[in-house]
Amino acid sequence: MVIPPLRRKALRDLRRLWAQALAIALVLAAGVATLILGSGAHRALTETRDRYYADYRFADLSTDLVRAPLSLVDDIRAIDGVLQAEPRIVKPGRPDIEGMAEPASVLLVTVPQADGLNRLHLRTGRLPEPGMADEAVVSQDFAGAHGLQQGSQLAVVMNGKRRLLSITGIALSPEFIYAIGPGEMMPDPHRFGIVWLQRDTLEQAFDLEGAFSNLVLRLVPGIPENRVIEEVDRLTAAYGGSGATGRAEQTSHAFLDAELEQLGAMFRVLPPIFLLVAAMLVHMTLSRLIMLEREQIGLLKAIGYRSSQIAQHYLEFVGLIAVCGILLGFAAGAWLGAGLAQLYARFFSFPFLHFGTDLRVYGLAAIVTLAAAMAGALQSLRGVLSLTPAVAMAPPAPADFRHSSRGVIALVPLRQTGRMVARHLLHWPFRTASSIFGMAMAVAILVASLWSFGSIEHMIRVTFNLAERQDVKMVFAAPEPMRALADLRSMPGVLKAEPFRLVPARLTNGNRSKRLAIEGRPADARLSRSLSPDLKPMPMPQDGLIISEALADSLALRPGDLVEVDFLAGRRASVSIPISGISVGYVGLGASMDIAALGRVTGEGPIISGANILLDEADQSAFLAAANAAPATGFLNVTDLTVSRFRATLAENITLMITVYVTLAAIIALGVVYNFSRIALSEQGRELASLRVLGFTRTEAASVILLELAVVVLLAQPLGWLIGHGIGRAMVAAFSSDLYRVPFVMGRRVYATASLIVIAAALLSALVVKGRIDRLDLIAVLKTRE
Amino acid sequence: MNQGEVVIETRGLTKTYQNGPTPVHALRGVDFTARRGELLVILGQSGSGKSTFLNILGGIDRPSSGAVIFEGQDIAGLGDQALTRYRRDHVGFVFQFYNLVPSLTALENVALVTEIAARPMRPEEALEIVGLSARSGHFPAQLSGGEQQRVAIARAIAKRPELLFCDEPTGALDSATGILVLEALEQANRSTGATTLIITHNAAIQQIADRTLRFADGRIVDEVMNTERKRPDQVSW
Repeated sequence: MVIPPLRRKALRDLRRLWAQALAIALVLAAGVATLILGSGAHRALTETRDRYYADYRFADLSTDLVRAPLSLVDDIRAIDGVLQAEPRIVKPGRPDIEGMAEPASVLLVTVPQADGLNRLHLRTGRLPEPGMADEAVVSQDFAGAHGLQQGSQLAVVMNGKRRLLSITGIALSPEFIYAIGPGEMMPDPHRFGIVWLQRDTLEQAFDLEGAFSNLVLRLVPGIPENRVIEEVDRLTAAYGGSGATGRAEQTSHAFLDAELEQLGAMFRVLPPIFLLVAAMLVHMTLSRLIMLEREQIGLLKAIGYRSSQIAQHYLEFVGLIAVCGILLGFAAGAWLGAGLAQLYARFFSFPFLHFGTDLRVYGLAAIVTLAAAMAGALQSLRGVLSLTPAVAMAPPAPADFRHSSRGVIALVPLRQTGRMVARHLLHWPFRTASSIFGMAMAVAILVASLWSFGSIEHMIRVTFNLAERQDVKMVFAAPEPMRALADLRSMPGVLKAEPFRLVPARLTNGNRSKRLAIEGRPADARLSRSLSPDLKPMPMPQDGLIISEALADSLALRPGDLVEVDFLAGRRASVSIPISGISVGYVGLGASMDIAALGRVTGEGPIISGANILLDEADQSAFLAAANAAPATGFLNVTDLTVSRFRATLAENITLMITVYVTLAAIIALGVVYNFSRIALSEQGRELASLRVLGFTRTEAASVILLELAVVVLLAQPLGWLIGHGIGRAMVAAFSSDLYRVPFVMGRRVYATASLIVIAAALLSALVVKGRIDRLDLIAVLKTRE
Repeated sequence: MNQGEVVIETRGLTKTYQNGPTPVHALRGVDFTARRGELLVILGQSGSGKSTFLNILGGIDRPSSGAVIFEGQDIAGLGDQALTRYRRDHVGFVFQFYNLVPSLTALENVALVTEIAARPMRPEEALEIVGLSARSGHFPAQLSGGEQQRVAIARAIAKRPELLFCDEPTGALDSATGILVLEALEQANRSTGATTLIITHNAAIQQIADRTLRFADGRIVDEVMNTERKRPDQVSW
């Protein structure tokens, strides 16, 4: 096959300029990879979830009740829009595992029927056989964490009675993709799991013969959820129904949703940045190449090549770079995608994870990338192709610096080399600006990712050092009278115990409504406190409600407003309560009031849901053992365990993400700096050689280019901080959900770290260029006409 | 003039470099002496070794063997730093293609050197010597070829070099402009007392020199003393 000469030239140019081409290709690859990774992971997660939900009939609605007769289910099924309703018993239990000191809890759930909702995906074994009361299926992660297998025995304390269960199977459920224990911030399979039991077993254990405590429903597709919820709440109110919730408020679903939201937000931002920077690099590099080949272009035109053929030649050259970038991006995207999928597989319990190759995404990535590169190329081709062959073949006039702010720069007291630097930067304002912008984007990517460390530490400090200062939170299995506190105080190691009351309620402001638990606390609580936005403890008001910022935003409430509160327990009072203050809170929606006032408005009087406890460290294990054994205990949250789990989980995820971001930012920084300095060197090689001949040392001569580079890099820093700050803010907005809000903590350390990383990458590039300057052949450069 | 002290001399200077597989002997043992303030013209065909000779004297190239003695010190074996120092303090260069920094004005181009030199003249003074005071604020793109070359001469002499090396300084210029440049060089030679070596193809230029050397095949094949130096405006080509 005969390769046309121009194509051969394109290949040789590519080989000659391989380092610059590679730098551009890497930036393009980063764009392609993030696009593939982001949309791929998003799609994989969405599709996996949707398929899982559909195949295993994940319920649309669910509601907890105290106790309702099974006959109520028929009334529920008769509600317009209800396709299927399944009564269940769902109760907390405590696993009694030998050698396990820290408190753990399990959720006991009725085994779904064969044609029921929230079906189980059995990993191994079988479902419990009818009549075999002690048979149970256990959730996979919990089983894994404790080495439980089919045939293992597991002791569980149910309603105060210890019962030895025989495990018949290990399963996953669409209801618990993200299995988070009560009162916890992160899933911890060691301390929380699901145990599915026969209905009879649970009926007996919890005295619920002929009754149920939880209802799951499937709705006719397209039916407005709210109408059904209203009906369900009306029918279940008399049975202690605590309000039906849709999928949006179902813990596992909501966490998964938040994750998808984050993923989507992140990957809408990154690929455009890379493609923009790459287009700019292509433009910069190709403009210089064309400038150097101006005479060749004139010659080609003179001997009869059409402009379109010449344009095609350069587009082929850029196309080759783009194709390299695209292929690298495909490979990196697929590789990182597999990594991300594994991370999700570890984090979320899916029976399968579909990380398929969506050719459309690959196609889109390729087209967008090619387009970005071509746009950069066409921009630089325009000028030269319009020249006549005679003009093109004549050497270009020397660069005219008359207009490059001569006046201003002449006035500034600079050394001549400093003047050279200033005038160069001003002479090519587009190149300078785009290089600054490119570097700024590298800084911005880092700023926008690195702030999360500080943010998490801030979150932990505020939540656990300032707001929730208890060592242990004990939640009773059922509300207890206030005197239970006295028993608690007599337990080993208890230094202080403050009661709290949790009452499920629906808060409504106009057409906005949220369901949550209102927490009642003593007016002078010292352990669990609400914090004002300036992080000062807020005293519990006499009769008002303090709500978290997230809830205030969600319901559009401000201090002084009245909010409708429908309590979903006890006498189910409906009252209007004034908002007394807005508190800071990062996890969940929060509303709190004085515990006595809460008792008054609900009509329940002085009953409590549990207590926040300060422990003598020396007696912690004695306390936990006693608390575990106490019949009243529902579950225990040990703050240290919660925090360390939170840290460990986030550390793992964030370390991975930060590694990716740092790599991506370094690619941009290297790409921009290398191309910028190579072009500057190509333009100024002659001047540098002159300087050497005039008696400048290697370092002095190199400093002209390096100083130019330094100015670009330095100017990019504040811009990068600003853009990164903006991206960070946008991310905070995108990540905020009812489940958690991310505090925006942007400190000097974030800016400094981001800048240091980018500057390090720039220095690396600069060193390479310095090496080239050092090897300049003085004589050869000076003997040639430019 | 010829009786002045020796500023630079070479002994047995050779330079061989590889051009592909074949070694090229650019210099084959050159012995040479120049005295303070002398103006020498070096003639020779392309490839005769004259530029290599000049580059070695100027410290931008190194000989394969032999000695280059400047003010009693052999610079042939100096390292990069010392050679840079030598160029910075003692040598002025003028090239065929001017090699001005386009982003600096005429005055700033000269100041580029005076900023780093040990005992420079004022940049304005250097421009005055070459007759370009009126153009000091102009950038190279605003100057004619002859003017650019005169700026280059001003830049070369502003450090008050002992040695001024000019490689085809009029090569890219027409004769009228070339004469202006030669006048500037001569003026520079007189006013600074720099030993001046001018490489040229143009035999007519030898009339302005104290002495003319002819290079061929890497050697000095002819040496002519000029009893009477002509002024550049008396020369024509």
